[in-house]
Amino acid sequence: MTVLVALGQAVLLAVLAPYVLGLTRAVRARLEGRAGRRLGQPWRDLRKLLRKPPTSPSDASLFFVAAPPVLLATSLLVAVAAPFVATTSLAGEADLIVVVGLLLLGAVALALAGLDTGTAFGGMGASREMTIAALVEPTLLLSVFALSVRVGSTDLAAIVTAGATDPASVFTPASALAAAALAIATLAECGRVPVDNPSTHLELTMVHEAMVLEYSGRDLALVEWASALRLTILLGLLANLFAPWGVATHLTPVALAIGTAAFIAKVGGLAALLAAGEVLAAKLRLFRVPELLAGSFALALLAVLAAAVLG
Amino acid sequence: MHGATWVEQAFNLACGLLLLTAVGALWRRETSALIPILTVQGGALTAIAVMLAAGHPDGGQAVLVAVVVGLLKVVIIPLLLRRVHRLVRNARETRPLVNVATSLLAAAGLCLLAYAAARPLVAVAESPTARATPVGLSLVLIGFFLAATRHRAISQIVGLLLIDNGIAATAFLATDGVPLIVELGVCADLVLAVLVLQVLTARMVHTFGDGDLDDLRELHD
Amino acid sequence: MNVVAASLSAAGGLAVAGAISAVLFGRSVRAALVGLLTAPAGAAAAVAGAAAAGGVSWSLAAPYLLPLTGVELAVDPLSGWFLLLIGAVTAVTGVYTVGYAGRQGHGPGARPSLVLLPLFAASLMLVPVAASVPTLLVGWELMAVTSLLLVLTEHRHAPAVRDAGIWYAALTQLGFVALLIGLVWLAGTAGGPSFAAIRAGARDVDAATASVVFLLGLIGFAGKAGAVPLHPWLPRAHAESPSHVSALMSAAMVKLGVYGLLRLGFDLLGGGAPWWWLLLAAVGAISALYGITQAAVARDIKRMLAFSTSENVGLILLGVGFAGMYAQAGNSTAAVLALAAALLHAANHGAFKALLFAGAGSVVRATGTRDMDRLGGLVRTMPATTVLFAGGALAAAALPPGNGFVSEWLLLQSLLHPGPDAGPMLTIAAPIAVAVVAATAGIGVATYVKAVGTGFLARPRSDRAATARESPPSMVVAMVLAGLACVALAVVPGLTIPVLSRIAGDLRLAPPGGTVAASTFALRVEAATLWPLWTVVGIVAGTAAVAVAARALGRARRRAPAWDCGGGPLTERMEYTATSFAEPLQRVFDNVLAPERDVDVTHADESRYHVAAIRFHQRIPDRVENRIYRPLVTALRSLGERVRPLANGSVHRYLGYMLVALLAVLVVGVLR
Repeated sequence: MTVLVALGQAVLLAVLAPYVLGLTRAVRARLEGRAGRRLGQPWRDLRKLLRKPPTSPSDASLFFVAAPPVLLATSLLVAVAAPFVATTSLAGEADLIVVVGLLLLGAVALALAGLDTGTAFGGMGASREMTIAALVEPTLLLSVFALSVRVGSTDLAAIVTAGATDPASVFTPASALAAAALAIATLAECGRVPVDNPSTHLELTMVHEAMVLEYSGRDLALVEWASALRLTILLGLLANLFAPWGVATHLTPVALAIGTAAFIAKVGGLAALLAAGEVLAAKLRLFRVPELLAGSFALALLAVLAAAVLG
Repeated sequence: MHGATWVEQAFNLACGLLLLTAVGALWRRETSALIPILTVQGGALTAIAVMLAAGHPDGGQAVLVAVVVGLLKVVIIPLLLRRVHRLVRNARETRPLVNVATSLLAAAGLCLLAYAAARPLVAVAESPTARATPVGLSLVLIGFFLAATRHRAISQIVGLLLIDNGIAATAFLATDGVPLIVELGVCADLVLAVLVLQVLTARMVHTFGDGDLDDLRELHD
Repeated sequence: MNVVAASLSAAGGLAVAGAISAVLFGRSVRAALVGLLTAPAGAAAAVAGAAAAGGVSWSLAAPYLLPLTGVELAVDPLSGWFLLLIGAVTAVTGVYTVGYAGRQGHGPGARPSLVLLPLFAASLMLVPVAASVPTLLVGWELMAVTSLLLVLTEHRHAPAVRDAGIWYAALTQLGFVALLIGLVWLAGTAGGPSFAAIRAGARDVDAATASVVFLLGLIGFAGKAGAVPLHPWLPRAHAESPSHVSALMSAAMVKLGVYGLLRLGFDLLGGGAPWWWLLLAAVGAISALYGITQAAVARDIKRMLAFSTSENVGLILLGVGFAGMYAQAGNSTAAVLALAAALLHAANHGAFKALLFAGAGSVVRATGTRDMDRLGGLVRTMPATTVLFAGGALAAAALPPGNGFVSEWLLLQSLLHPGPDAGPMLTIAAPIAVAVVAATAGIGVATYVKAVGTGFLARPRSDRAATARESPPSMVVAMVLAGLACVALAVVPGLTIPVLSRIAGDLRLAPPGGTVAASTFALRVEAATLWPLWTVVGIVAGTAAVAVAARALGRARRRAPAWDCGGGPLTERMEYTATSFAEPLQRVFDNVLAPERDVDVTHADESRYHVAAIRFHQRIPDRVENRIYRPLVTALRSLGERVRPLANGSVHRYLGYMLVALLAVLVVGVLR
């Protein structure tokens, strides 16, 4: 049963992910006074791309071919294991450190692919992406620390369950500070404003886009899908760690239905918030990004300290 | 945190807010962003004072202290600061003495230091809220750091105010209520200091067209 | 005769046979013979180590072997663990030597180098089984001398090798002197040179003496481990020595520093004071951060790996330090966890670093350069090396499903649970340590992406790289062996946990009956569980499934030149190099690294505004070295100049000095 729920959750996330992307675009368009495209447009793009044959640059090797499946597989693995709809996920695989590691593995695969193309764009994107990933890592793990102090475990299911059964424990300064830190880390990990601009086509500002520039057809579909999935995963984690309401803590159909609805609502809300934020904020210069990440690191450290001092 | 009351939670959140705003003051380069940050911090401090007063046996005086603090930190000082800021429009800390990323890391380090240094204080203090004293001490240290590493006069004022907020927070948390007369004296001092700095800034802007304290060195040379 | 004794004798015998055969045979078979004798010697040592780690005990006292003190040998699980590591690395290196030293009469194939290799391996095996201070010191010095001579193998070709030799000799002798004083002092106070006597007498050693002994041991052992600030020999020696020697040194020898610290601090001195371990953890943290930052910006592939060794040793020392602090604070669960993490990381590092140095050696052998800016494109010409190196890099970057991830996970778990009533020291140190481990892991990922991405992928950036050929089968086999060790450690790390718990019990960190629960396929820590096997299966199967499904949906892949913006075909000069890849990180850490840059602009003759050429030169110096060692060397030199009149070249005068010294010693003796 847990296996079925876990797989069902992964399917839900995989289906939902392009809609989340569509939602951010739609909200953004509305706020900028444009009509925008429909919510399902990313899905239509994916369907079209999936049917087209991919093209490899003549200098690229196996690393280029392998990166999109690795990226998607790691994201799917997280979608299977982590508690999004229900906390009774597959035991142990939902360890927060493992989740961080899996997401990083996907980013590494893509960075190697970017270098593998042998173009300056690919190298530039890979270099920048890895720099940002390296600087985000301390924030991520310190936030994990702050969250795990509360329940004495890095198991995601345990953390979310603790939050869902004892909502009071979510409103602690440690949680608030960790939430702020993790939110910034999430922006950096997903390549959103102010760290990266997903809709840019100017080489000076590209990070993620530069890495995947040579992908086309089926490969591009996998990369885009995985990116949307990563965004959904990170938003979902953020939602469930700091607002764990509605998550199913036991496996009854009603609880699962409520869990699903709550998850969709929370992720939708966060995505809309993200899009609204992107309209208002400007992208930072690349070399101002360390400042932002240092700030998030300081917040994460304060979160740990607050957990020790204030409980 | 099982069974924590909402008052305790709110108290903890206010303490968290104090820390967050202190870091925020180091983070933002635009001096215009500092004023709302400071206002929020004043609000959090007031909230702490109110919560302590609510639980205090000698409620009347403590409430009065809380009201005075609230008036001063949330209304008067932001107002004064805004007037100073009007003189130096769009000022930014373009090149602080210590770059922003490093100063944020330093702030984190200072907080750890404050935590370590406040351990004996926490151990001897009788009030149950004393465990939060490291927060006040962190504020003092960050305030000093801010004042020591920034160029703009307005940043100096903000640093000073951070120090004062930190001292006030420490006093509230560690002593279970500050005598009214002491608090009034401190407040008066503070308003005076801000006024003096305002005059100074005004004169500087008038003389140099800028609020950069490094220009003062020219007086010395 | 038990299995440990038999295997150890076999290992010793095979190593000596290897050395003798190198003396006797000619160049055509020499390398193969030495390699094929060293490999089983290593395997035998590994068997002995495994048996000892599994609880088989053995000891030997041979008073006739060394004058005055004799040789004392013994094994316990701790020495078994390190012996296993050393044996396995030696076996891999032996196989590698067959192809690497080849049939050449120079460099690694020269007779002295091949004679020394098995002797170096044997001295490595001697250190962990030594059971008395003199035996340990003899093994230690043998190891230092043989490795120094091996580092100097290619001294004729490059002045940098001689420089490396001098640094290594100076620092390793400094460490040896510290160890000599410390351990002899300890033996003198505790009442006997054998470890058993010291253990028994350790209670009589007063705290101040114990602290001084520990500090001296720290200088000697941490210096050998390559911890900052005693590290300057390491990037030089690892980079300049032949790659099989680098592998042995980095994967096996530096671990003996860790072994020494464990033996001295926990076993002989019985735990000591909390500040010892805080100091050790601080040294570890600084080594980890400094090592990985330097590795991230290095363009020499072997220098990068060497600094990464500093980083990994730093993490191991961090774990050991926390184990000590937890033990002192009475938190035995976390203490065992931290120690297990450190020991497992030592083994993991041994496995992947042997693989990586072997891979780097293949690359250097095939292309003649260590400069990653001039490599690239090897994935087509050296596919096996590329894939194996990439696997090692995955492990070294501590990414799942690599084995490095498992030990870093354990380390983080130990740091994440300082316990509710840990003192202020741990409450502050633990989050800092987590941040350090995380930062190290993050920068490590960037470092190894750089190594694989710019070293092996895309187009070759030099002619030698373009015409590189795959290494001979024996070298590939050696790398495969190391890779298999990585895979085993990644998939079933749970098998090592009982051994590690027993070691922790032996070192009196915890009551017997371990606290890390583990089955074959899972590591359970307090409330968290890691299923390494499922992670591996999930990633591999998931990737394969996605790839197959996507392929089934659509049409076949095409190949086409990458878009060149209409500017003609892309050349290798447009690629990102190792330097350019690391540039953003270097800029972030500008204050720490302080790179030296020269930009020469040559203007055209016609006009100043026309630029004919720009030369850009950048060097990233080792700041610790510049700040600490340069002034020291300058001071020593000026001191030397000042006392020069004392040494005027007269033999009589020198003999006179000796006489005076002898008389002084005798007089002191008589007066006491």
